[in-house]
Amino acid sequence: MGRGHQLLLLPNGNPLKFVNMDLRFYLALIVGKITAFVLKLKGSGATAAPGLYALNIDPNFVKKFSKQITNGSIIICGTNGKTTTSRITSDLLSSKYKIIHNRQGSNLLRGLASTFINKSSFLGKVDCHIALWEIDEAVLPHVIKDTNPKTLVLLNLFRDQLDRYGEIDSIRKSWQTMLLNLPKTTQVILNEDDPGIKYLEKFTSGKITTFGIEDKKINLPQTTNISDIKQCPNCSAKLIYTSTFSAHMGHYACTSCSLKRTTPIISASNLIFERGFKTSIQLTLDNQKLSLNLKIPGLYNVYNILAASAIAYSENLDGKFIKNTLQHFASAFGRYQKFNVNGKEIIVFLIKNPTGANEILKTISLEEKLNILVILNDKIADGKDVSWIWDTNWEIISKKVGNIFVSGSRSWDLANRLKYAGFKLSNKNVCKQINYSITQALASSNNKDTLLILPTYTALLETQKILSKLSRQEKWHQN
Amino acid sequence: MAPKLSLKICHLYPDLMDTYGDTGNIITLQKRCQWRGIKTNVSSISAGEDIKGDFDFFFFGGGQNKTQLTIAHDLQKKKHSIKTAVENSAVLLSVCGGYQLLQNYFKTKDGEIIKGIGLFDAYTQGSDDRMIQNLLIEISPDLENKIKETYPITQSPSHPVTQLIGFENHSGKTYLGKNLKPLGTVIKGAGNNGQDQTEGAVYKNAFGCYLHGSLLPKNPHFADYLIAKALEHRYGKTNLKPLDDSFEWEAHNQSVKITRSRG
Repeated sequence: MGRGHQLLLLPNGNPLKFVNMDLRFYLALIVGKITAFVLKLKGSGATAAPGLYALNIDPNFVKKFSKQITNGSIIICGTNGKTTTSRITSDLLSSKYKIIHNRQGSNLLRGLASTFINKSSFLGKVDCHIALWEIDEAVLPHVIKDTNPKTLVLLNLFRDQLDRYGEIDSIRKSWQTMLLNLPKTTQVILNEDDPGIKYLEKFTSGKITTFGIEDKKINLPQTTNISDIKQCPNCSAKLIYTSTFSAHMGHYACTSCSLKRTTPIISASNLIFERGFKTSIQLTLDNQKLSLNLKIPGLYNVYNILAASAIAYSENLDGKFIKNTLQHFASAFGRYQKFNVNGKEIIVFLIKNPTGANEILKTISLEEKLNILVILNDKIADGKDVSWIWDTNWEIISKKVGNIFVSGSRSWDLANRLKYAGFKLSNKNVCKQINYSITQALASSNNKDTLLILPTYTALLETQKILSKLSRQEKWHQN
Repeated sequence: MAPKLSLKICHLYPDLMDTYGDTGNIITLQKRCQWRGIKTNVSSISAGEDIKGDFDFFFFGGGQNKTQLTIAHDLQKKKHSIKTAVENSAVLLSVCGGYQLLQNYFKTKDGEIIKGIGLFDAYTQGSDDRMIQNLLIEISPDLENKIKETYPITQSPSHPVTQLIGFENHSGKTYLGKNLKPLGTVIKGAGNNGQDQTEGAVYKNAFGCYLHGSLLPKNPHFADYLIAKALEHRYGKTNLKPLDDSFEWEAHNQSVKITRSRG
């Protein structure tokens, strides 16, 4: 007899039983709900705890809930772009479905459980037609089994927190096995420009939709390229690139086997990136062409737009509606998120790994003059290994910087990195305390200048709190 | 005016072995030379390419396990050039995967033997333990004395040049042969194998270690020792002009403090 049953006893010592009711599940739900309520009272932003407790009581908690979601789930996974892609997807699909979504980015099984706890009634009923889950790449093979997947989107795979995830080859291997075991009814959406993702096609038995960028050249500065795919993932021969966009993403062909990029069904072309964080693209959905002016900057966001469009396309959404929604999409938490403090504009860009950070640096390098605060923490969620800052091409913005400030638990590792990248940095502008650095950076910039803040993950959470206080914005977890 | 000094650096397999920010070591060598008016010439030598020319310095970084196999095969063709250079007092720094491939062999968990080139009389045994953490070591005493001779500590007397700090991420356990000296003794972390407290290896001017981080940027005393030895290889004993290393030592000390308090 499980723990759940022992706690519910009648006065005569017999276990309490309801007809057709799963007591273990119900107890897990109640414990989760109480935990969530207590955390809310305390004003805590901890989103995973209720789910964690519920799963301790009923390991099949998410699986049982998933059975209620009639259309199954859409799963979004990859190193970079999960949160933004799922937020865009949510905006697109909300016209068709009532969605349950882990918007706050708590993307382990416990995060899904917490979302169900939050969205369900006390009887465990969820009034939603489809689930939208961003899932951490390392736990994906394990978690997907509980989600009744309708569509799986694989965005990309880059080196990220090697201390936590290990090498990307081992993650890709675990995805291969997962794909072989997926039901045929699961549609798979793949990034055609990432050879490590494209390669997974051959393990897939369901319908495949691909997305990618058709342009041969991108008008962004080049960074020293760090590539996580050295050889053909299929046969280990040399890969030849005719275009390289970001890390190992681009137009490639293997010199030995048949692996090569082909024209994707969903694609972007005529990419234009301009000063003021403006982006325009032509979006092709099979045979439909749409011209878009986007409010989110950077090449990485074009990929997020493409992935979300591929989902919208497979859900048969109307082209005009897709265009309108994409053009209105502003940003996700900490990803090009704007604040205003006493008339000064602040834009926050999360950085978490070299490829993502390089894309942000490329994007901001288009601006005329930069005032920047970079914050490097080394907690578990940031990655305890900070050596990735040496794989990041800070050199490309060194000549553009007006004021620069450095903060976080590893402020001096970063300050030293910037010294070797050619920055003129005063030791007065380096401080471990994030609060101090934000105040200092704001005080040194005038009202016309925009302050860009580039924090790692846990630094973002702290930055968010400080800026919310300063600008009286809503707390992010209430969004 | 004295003729301008110049160093020839060979970066081994930079396209294949670049996983843990090890390029930071090359950037550091280049910058610390540049700030002293010493020219550097970095050649990238990858698979299928011969080591041509008289290099003063070799760097060999870490990479993913899969690419290490490809390199192990190619490295046999470079064995003679690398060993000859080291015998002739050229400097070599290898980290993690690079360090492992320069040993006698690597035995995988499944018992497969990947042959190395035996520059270091050591071997590595694959394991299920992933040793992932900050790594702080005390430099071996004789090396420490040599570092003290070359590193101009006048401007920062308060910084002890007795330690190295970095970050390790490996599952292979390295065991040194009887006559091979370690780079240092582990204070915090696992080091070579997590058992005998040794970290890294030293053979003549060739060094192997598990210290990423990157290693050289925040261990300027060691960076300068390697530069001094490389200059000695080409020009005979040369004194290094001191630099302002305040940022380097702040980074060193901040990392040491974190490592000592939470590992």
